Amino acid sequence: MPIEISWQLSGRTERRTLQGRGPFRIGRSRNGDVVLDHPQVSRVHLEVIVDGASVRAEDKNSQNGTRIDGRPITVATWSPGEALQVGPFSLRYAWVAEAYEPTRVEFGQEPAREAPRAAEADVAGGRNPFPGALFDRRTVPISEIKASGKLAAETEYLAIGGGIGSFCWVDHLRCYGVPGSTIRVLGIAPDKTAYAKYSRLCRASQIPLHERIRSNSISTPDNIWGFPGYASRECVREVMHGRLSGLKRILQVFGEPALTESYTPRLGDVFESMDKEAARIGWNDMFVVAQAIAIRKTDDERFVIAYRIPSEAAAGASRSERERFMVARYVQLATGYPASNFLPDLQEFKHSHPDVAAVVNCYEPHDEVYKTLEQRGGTVLIRGRGIVASRVIQRIWEARQRNKNISLIHLNRAPIKEGTKYDWAQRAVRSDVQQQPFNWPKSCWGGTLRKRLEDASPEERSQLLSIWGGTTTADRDDWNDIIAEGNRDGWLKSFYGSVQSMTYRDGQVITRLGGHEKYQEGIDLAADFVVDCTGLVSRLDEAPVLADLTRIYDLQRNKAGSGTGPEVRLAGLAVNNAFEVPGMQNGRGRVWAAGVLTANGPYAAVDSFLGLQYAALRSVDQLGALRAPGVSRFGPLRSFRQWIRWCLGRSPG
Amino acid sequence: MTPTLLGRWHTRLILFLFIGLPITFLYAWYLSAWGLSEVYTVAWPFDQVWFRLPPIELSIFQDPFKFLLALLVLGLVLDVAYIQIQRFHWEQDWPFAYQFFFSWVEFFIVFYVMDFGFLDFMFPDGRIPFSTAVCHFSWVFTFSFIGVLALLQIFLVRWRFKGGELGRFPLR
Repeated sequence: MPIEISWQLSGRTERRTLQGRGPFRIGRSRNGDVVLDHPQVSRVHLEVIVDGASVRAEDKNSQNGTRIDGRPITVATWSPGEALQVGPFSLRYAWVAEAYEPTRVEFGQEPAREAPRAAEADVAGGRNPFPGALFDRRTVPISEIKASGKLAAETEYLAIGGGIGSFCWVDHLRCYGVPGSTIRVLGIAPDKTAYAKYSRLCRASQIPLHERIRSNSISTPDNIWGFPGYASRECVREVMHGRLSGLKRILQVFGEPALTESYTPRLGDVFESMDKEAARIGWNDMFVVAQAIAIRKTDDERFVIAYRIPSEAAAGASRSERERFMVARYVQLATGYPASNFLPDLQEFKHSHPDVAAVVNCYEPHDEVYKTLEQRGGTVLIRGRGIVASRVIQRIWEARQRNKNISLIHLNRAPIKEGTKYDWAQRAVRSDVQQQPFNWPKSCWGGTLRKRLEDASPEERSQLLSIWGGTTTADRDDWNDIIAEGNRDGWLKSFYGSVQSMTYRDGQVITRLGGHEKYQEGIDLAADFVVDCTGLVSRLDEAPVLADLTRIYDLQRNKAGSGTGPEVRLAGLAVNNAFEVPGMQNGRGRVWAAGVLTANGPYAAVDSFLGLQYAALRSVDQLGALRAPGVSRFGPLRSFRQWIRWCLGRSPG
Repeated sequence: MTPTLLGRWHTRLILFLFIGLPITFLYAWYLSAWGLSEVYTVAWPFDQVWFRLPPIELSIFQDPFKFLLALLVLGLVLDVAYIQIQRFHWEQDWPFAYQFFFSWVEFFIVFYVMDFGFLDFMFPDGRIPFSTAVCHFSWVFTFSFIGVLALLQIFLVRWRFKGGELGRFPLR
């Protein structure tokens, strides 16, 4: 797995992803893998070698030396979360998934299969692995946790994962009456923003702040009611500035999706609204910058969570001081996408050509591709259709406005003759892609299809999900125009077939096709860049906390679907209709899960804003019924009162 | 909107109870007390009429309620057809535009059924004139539409996820 190294440079966080084994050179030299331009840094200061699950740092006789967490080293194991000091810079790293995660994986410091080796490395380094033997049992006595001297806090509610799933849960808890002092959130974003990871994925997949995202007006992570939606807010703002065109937003919501193009909000507006809500509910005060390591039941009907605070967030503290426990009665797991992989043939190419940057996945940072295209022109091969492919094609169209010498090959396995059928309806097909406004049919969120899935058996569920999901894009006029223009002017060509091999020759990637009746003998497609938009294979087993939890408590998993969309292929953690993890009940203590971790379960759209709000609503409703401290039943009057407070921007109380 | 059949019925009933009935009450009162009375039409609402309640024409007072009831019954029946139409949509949804359009379709059906005399058993003292019916329905429709767009979501936080059904979710 690649690692991502980060450090501070004049107040900004710099990041560099290193893929392969290395050795990677760090130093002042411009030819290095990580360039640190400072007189106290030697030209080649040190080398980093990624060996399986461990990372080794080797000082290269530097003038000023290299230190790990303050102690000078020549050769040493460098663990995640530890600060590697080079001159004035303090570097740290995190494991990132193959391609999908351009940056840290929330839980993914080490892949689960490698965990024993990582522990050995710890022992070899002269330290005791944390949390050690205490967590060998299914139930840990609270007295032993207290005796360890590492119990940092006891809280009522704990959200694991600092992303949008936790944000929605905490937002519901606060509106239902829970004081912020009894809620904690464990997340790794140093700036504590809930959308940090989402924002990185958007940036990598070429969605700037002013672009519209594939979400609906009433999918409002900042507002549990969905009113006012983003469309009416945008309309009011525009009209206040004297732009009557803002009224178009209301007409869109009025007619969508049958009569008008569906309304979608701007990315920047969503982030801004979440910042406001975070301030209103006191999100930052609940947020603990830390990486969760493992979860166990306690003997007093609660849960204990072992976590590690990164050295940057606890200046001067030793590694052992940064390893702590937290105890909570009600826990929600929302850790987002676990590790994901490229398709096998792309993976193979990446492994045999680790230095070639010409093959990229659409979710990893690849701005260089477009910059190079704009400067020199060239041919890009896009694999796969779907929403990100549409956006990448748009980005290439934008590059073509600067350099007309860019052409595009669109490669798919087979043409699409007709859309999927379900009940009395059929999905629309246009320009060889199935179209629907969102990643699931709209009524999956709260209508007839939600009900249908909830009532279905596990076998029926995976069948229904592969019909409703799959690869689709949105029916956007600008995208349709771009495709039409590309076909007309000849800079866009479509090919079909399965890929037999990918090779690298004379600075170009040669993709050999076969397996299609038209290209029996094979056809070679040459391109300067290959952008993979086929989606990814996510594996829950590679998120260590979850893998450990599933193993220790024999938790059930959902059946993986057979469809083509990445969300369908993931076998999530089995949850009941209220998103509770059944095997985790511990007396009064309960665990819920939300987001993509629950994929292929009773709810389809788990990895969407509205889906996360739904999961939060279901679990917090259940907390209300359990008479959990501070949680009201949230009837109409309380709902109205809280809504007024939201409008006035006042704290939920 | 993405309603279920039960959700359509629940929503229709709650709108009838909390928006249709109060508005019809006010409108019927206005109609029977001032609307058709020459004496008070001119004066209202500027003089002392405000302070002493005018006599209410009971038969006129009742008419808007009967009309609203006829609309409710037709709506509950048509909801079964609407839910079938939804199945032709891939999204299985019901755009606001449809809600708008079919609300008025329902109004015209009820009005002409009454106007042709099929509802004379309900309106023995005469049918409602078109202008009065339109005026009455415009008020009811406007507030019901606002109800669907905003009010229900604000008061009933689960409504939008339950396809318009009322009440809480089951616990598991």
